[in-house]
Amino acid sequence: MASLEENSVLVSVQDLHKHYGDLAALRGISFDILQGEVFGLLGPNGAGKTTTVEIIEGLRQPDRGSVCVCGLDPAQSNMALKERIGAQLQSTVLPDKMRVAEALHLFASFYKRSASVQMLLERFGLAEKRHTFFENLSGGQKQRLALALALVNDPELVLLDEPTVGLDPQLRREIYALIEHFRGEGRTVLLTTHYIEEAERLCDRVAIMDRGQLVALGTPRELIARSGQGTRLEVRLEKPVGLDRLKLIDGVIDCHEADGTYFLHAQPAAVTIAALVRFLESDENALVDLHIAQPSLEDVFVEMTGRRMEH
Amino acid sequence: MPTLRIALLAIRLVMRTKVALFFTFLFPLVFLFAYAGLIARGNPNVVAYMFGPVVTLNIMGSGFFGLGMQSVSQRERGSLRRYRLAPIGPRTILTSNLLANYLLQLPTIGLLLFCALVFFHMPMKIGWLTLLVLVTVGTFAFAGFGLTISSVANTMQEAQVYNNLIWFTLLFLSGVTFPLPMLPRWIQRLAMFFPSTYLVSTFQGAMAQAEPLLDHWPEMLVLVTSGVFGLLFAMKLFRWEKEERISTKAKLWSGVFVLPFLVMGLWMNMRANPTAMWARSFNVMGQAPSGSPNAEAEKLIEDFDGIQASEELLRRWQVSTDSDVSGHSMAEISLLTPGAEGTGHAMRLKGHLAPSPENAQGYVTARCEVRVPTNSRGLRGIEFEARGEPRIYQVGFRPPKAAPSSIPEISFVPGMEWQSVRVPIAWLADSSRYGLADSPWLLEISVTGSPGEFTLDLDEIRFY
Repeated sequence: MASLEENSVLVSVQDLHKHYGDLAALRGISFDILQGEVFGLLGPNGAGKTTTVEIIEGLRQPDRGSVCVCGLDPAQSNMALKERIGAQLQSTVLPDKMRVAEALHLFASFYKRSASVQMLLERFGLAEKRHTFFENLSGGQKQRLALALALVNDPELVLLDEPTVGLDPQLRREIYALIEHFRGEGRTVLLTTHYIEEAERLCDRVAIMDRGQLVALGTPRELIARSGQGTRLEVRLEKPVGLDRLKLIDGVIDCHEADGTYFLHAQPAAVTIAALVRFLESDENALVDLHIAQPSLEDVFVEMTGRRMEH
Repeated sequence: MPTLRIALLAIRLVMRTKVALFFTFLFPLVFLFAYAGLIARGNPNVVAYMFGPVVTLNIMGSGFFGLGMQSVSQRERGSLRRYRLAPIGPRTILTSNLLANYLLQLPTIGLLLFCALVFFHMPMKIGWLTLLVLVTVGTFAFAGFGLTISSVANTMQEAQVYNNLIWFTLLFLSGVTFPLPMLPRWIQRLAMFFPSTYLVSTFQGAMAQAEPLLDHWPEMLVLVTSGVFGLLFAMKLFRWEKEERISTKAKLWSGVFVLPFLVMGLWMNMRANPTAMWARSFNVMGQAPSGSPNAEAEKLIEDFDGIQASEELLRRWQVSTDSDVSGHSMAEISLLTPGAEGTGHAMRLKGHLAPSPENAQGYVTARCEVRVPTNSRGLRGIEFEARGEPRIYQVGFRPPKAAPSSIPEISFVPGMEWQSVRVPIAWLADSSRYGLADSPWLLEISVTGSPGEFTLDLDEIRFY
């Protein structure tokens, strides 16, 4: 008999490989997505996130490896799987003269089980736009419609491919609220993003991808804790001081300077702050400004890949 | 049912787009009024002859530029990707596009028909069911064309190149723009390979002479086959995304699509020879390259195809023999099926010449009344197809009250196979001088000579 943990795995990805000609898009990635969690695939453009999602959706075939989604093989049971998943593409294009409600009614009609179109219109803030043509919707409204379309079949698993790309911060926050609502409903969500804050805010677990490989996997907190970078202290001083002397302060793991600001990576932070104050007093120097920042997934990404994320 | 839902939505989308509305409904009307007004000059018979090309033009346009380009455009815009996430496959997308194309076709054809009947008083020889079948088969066939092109083209630009290449070839070389009988023989031979020729000529046969569709079953079969091939190719080569490119090998495979046309074209060129049928429709309903719109129809004296029974033939033709002057020759005329070069009917003059007590030679004459075309300028004589035992026959053409001996007769000897005979009549060109058009004249064909049996078959009698 399967254990509870095995039962709760909704998506299982094992050793996926995919090539496009000479380009290796995926080089052996493996992960599981548990029922009810928001799982993030984080990585820069070209990391292989969309390819992974499309293989899970059954839109592409892997060269090697296996995928099991909702107990089905996407390659073998494509139509049955589509009944159980909902997906939002990076960019959703519909005919210009298709009305919002028409699109929802049409796509809902394709499924054996469908959600109420009226409920979707209201939940996604599109009730007033129900008769509006697709071409007349704003970018945010189009994205909300794309999310609503992903839910027309009341799916167990929702796959969102960069749902906030190209949106302004206000619209992004609207989309975040909707995704958090999905989580509240107990839906399983697979989210790809290259926005660090999006993954940190929304995801229960995050897989960091780079160049077709999985470089880290865990909850955002675990990943940050696993990072050896410690707390980041951003310090401005009255008089300049040598980096080699700062590195000698208790708890400082690493430090660098940019535009007169010193960045100290400290572990533990409290010990370092106390030692820094003592050092400045003895050096007849003084703090002009001190900013304490917790390490982020971006720090983790930089540590894992040696590169910054491209926004 | 997803297919029907997508198709109905596609129709609604067309109704909301001004450009699509123009090309779907108004543009075909522009062609009808251009053809009927400028080429047919309002002559109802010629309008009926041109109706087939107008409908074919519309069907071709919707196949190539409606369905074909729409499929490529959907792929290029990325709107197919959203459908890909739903539990529907290529078959649903393709059949819905096909259905929408067909359902849009019907009101357009209805509108064309309405305008042709109301504004141009077009005679309606074609049955409603025949018209529906023809439109259905034609739409399906050219949908196959559009789908095949959209399957092999990787981009809109590529599809445009293929479409225009085929479109203009079919437009000018298959009777859609210029009636085939007006075109040179080599173009007529080439046209036998084109599907639009099959549709246009079937339309014209049905519109001009109420020919049953069964007479055109090979053409219908090829058109349906091409539609099936197109649909199969489209399913096999269907692509959801513009990034998916088709291989050269797959493109070459699509060459199989032209196979039915190749077989049909060869068969028509070598065995069927439909030019006589095309000419018949053209002569009945069509127009000459120059002169009045119905000049060609006026040139026809008799082709016997409109005659259903020998009794009807006897009302038009009379036979006299030397029995009027105590001779013993006998003759009868009857309807012969088929006629020359595969036409419907011909006339057979058959009898027995007996020595006459007074003349020593018996004679038999068949005659009919003929009206000279209103504008006979340029006419040089009478021609016809003849076949029979090699005897000497005389042809005469005279006013009804003139004595037979006052007009010179031309002799000819038929062969055992059909052959064309031309009888020059020098004064025919100057009708006003002789008052040719005022009353009917008599065309007489006589046989005399040694006693014995004779048989003469005549067909396609016309001025030339």
